Amino acid sequence: MFRGFRPGKLWSALFNSYGFLFLAFLYMPLALIVVYSFNANPINMAVWTGFTLDWYATIFGGAGVEGTFDVAFTESPERIFEVVKNSFLVATTAASISTLIGTATAVALARYRFAGKRFYQALLLLPMLVPDIVLGIALLIFFVGAGFHLSLLTIVIGHVTFLSSYVFVVVSSRLAGMDTTLEQASADLGAGALTTFRRVTLPLIMPGVLGGFLLAFIISLDDVVITYFIAGVGSQTLPLLILAMMRRGLRPQITALAVVIILFSFAVATVGMLLRNRKS
Amino acid sequence: MIAGDTVRSRRRRALLLLLAPITLMLGVFFLIPLGIMVVYSFLEPGLYGGVEWNWYPYNYGRILGWPLNDYEEFDPIYLSIFLGSLKVACLTVLFSLLICYPAAFWVSRMSERRKTFVLFLIMLPFFANLLVRIYAWLLLLRPTGFINTLLQSAGLIAQPLDMLFSNFAVIVGMVYIFTPFMFLPIYANVEKLDYSLIRASQDLGATPLQTFLRVILPLTAPGIAGGSVIVFIPALGNFIVPAFLGGSKVQMTGNLIERSFLQSRDWPFGAALALLIMASVVLVLMIQFTRTARAQARGAV
Repeated sequence: MFRGFRPGKLWSALFNSYGFLFLAFLYMPLALIVVYSFNANPINMAVWTGFTLDWYATIFGGAGVEGTFDVAFTESPERIFEVVKNSFLVATTAASISTLIGTATAVALARYRFAGKRFYQALLLLPMLVPDIVLGIALLIFFVGAGFHLSLLTIVIGHVTFLSSYVFVVVSSRLAGMDTTLEQASADLGAGALTTFRRVTLPLIMPGVLGGFLLAFIISLDDVVITYFIAGVGSQTLPLLILAMMRRGLRPQITALAVVIILFSFAVATVGMLLRNRKS
Repeated sequence: MIAGDTVRSRRRRALLLLLAPITLMLGVFFLIPLGIMVVYSFLEPGLYGGVEWNWYPYNYGRILGWPLNDYEEFDPIYLSIFLGSLKVACLTVLFSLLICYPAAFWVSRMSERRKTFVLFLIMLPFFANLLVRIYAWLLLLRPTGFINTLLQSAGLIAQPLDMLFSNFAVIVGMVYIFTPFMFLPIYANVEKLDYSLIRASQDLGATPLQTFLRVILPLTAPGIAGGSVIVFIPALGNFIVPAFLGGSKVQMTGNLIERSFLQSRDWPFGAALALLIMASVVLVLMIQFTRTARAQARGAV
């Protein structure tokens, strides 16, 4: 039935067709969005009335925007650009800070012996295990109570609290699989701790650090729930804009925007996974 | 001697420096907020939002059955919504398990090159935005959606099926979103399966069903448990999936929490609901930890 059994032809065929269905389940819904985004039908996306790029034009700006079927429900390219800018600003800042914090923590836990290590290991898992909505409202209560003005800054802080843990996990696994003899050699040859870290450890764990950064970046860019609670009036991110658009109704413009987001996320995720799989 | 002390104290300083940022970050922006949330859940809601600093256990009372007389009312709806959320989360776990379990065996049989590629394909949808993936299911399930249009044009149904805004839609959406979470732990387990045990079972004359129930299933139990916990936790507190795929017909605790924070502005009540979710999460995690600890102890003997 399984490897080591020389499965019969029937079992093999069954498993392969099941696997095909499994992948279809994962990708069919996304493929549907892509097809719909080129459908000219402005009212019912399920009925094909012809090929168009108009919906993409409503995002990037271009001809045909003013003549759109439901102008009132269409976000302007300027508005979309503004929230995309916010999203990128938040994701870049939050991912950078979390990469610094997460990497430092991973190095501390992997290369030093100290009391309370187990406490830190457990503590670092918590932000990934606490449900998003709980972290979201806890941060909202805290920010409002402490007199923070809800803004892009509060979103960055909120993201860093849980993204540090993700970077920590990625960098830790890189450190765990690393040969420590090089570090010892460096120390034996008289290099200080900082030099050893900069010249030996860091280059070796760099794929993990970059992979962690990209993971943090994409999670921050995609985050809906926590951002939803701690965003201020003037600090909308792209997922929050899409949330608002979806609440008003399903429109072709959202479909086109969804395709752009899928493509971008997949590209970043691909680079991230290639980095993480790379053997040093 | 002196040099040794300096090295040690220098290493101590380096360690402190490395740990200071995470300690500060998680202390101030994680542990303290969670602590304040616990405190809030025992405070009296202010008349116009905000809180009064009085001991007030009736936020929980409203949910669990000891309301403050003449002022608050015990409404069994909150408890039934919470139990409903538990049900939806459990069914989500069950169905994603049924879907991912055979898939893990499928992937484990591949050559290394193909395995890497297919694993990548299975992980990739996780990176598509949550809202985009929910949006796809809205387009599939709604009355004028893909499935209904297909069935109607094929002449199989006269009226569109009412699939959206139901427990079914919410569970389908959640299973779709959490599939990678369930798949990875099970796969990691299946990948390490000791096939000689399975062969021994067959050689000793066990039927395939017996081999599955008494050898394969117990051996893959840790992966099943791990995947179930990782899916259960975000499913229980979810509010985005039910908001779109459940509409006003399927309410989950997450939706109640969202409304008490952003609409009715009854923060203590929302905090109490959030703590109910946290309590369930902690309970599940504790069961899981004692389970793995016991399994490890057994393994050591």
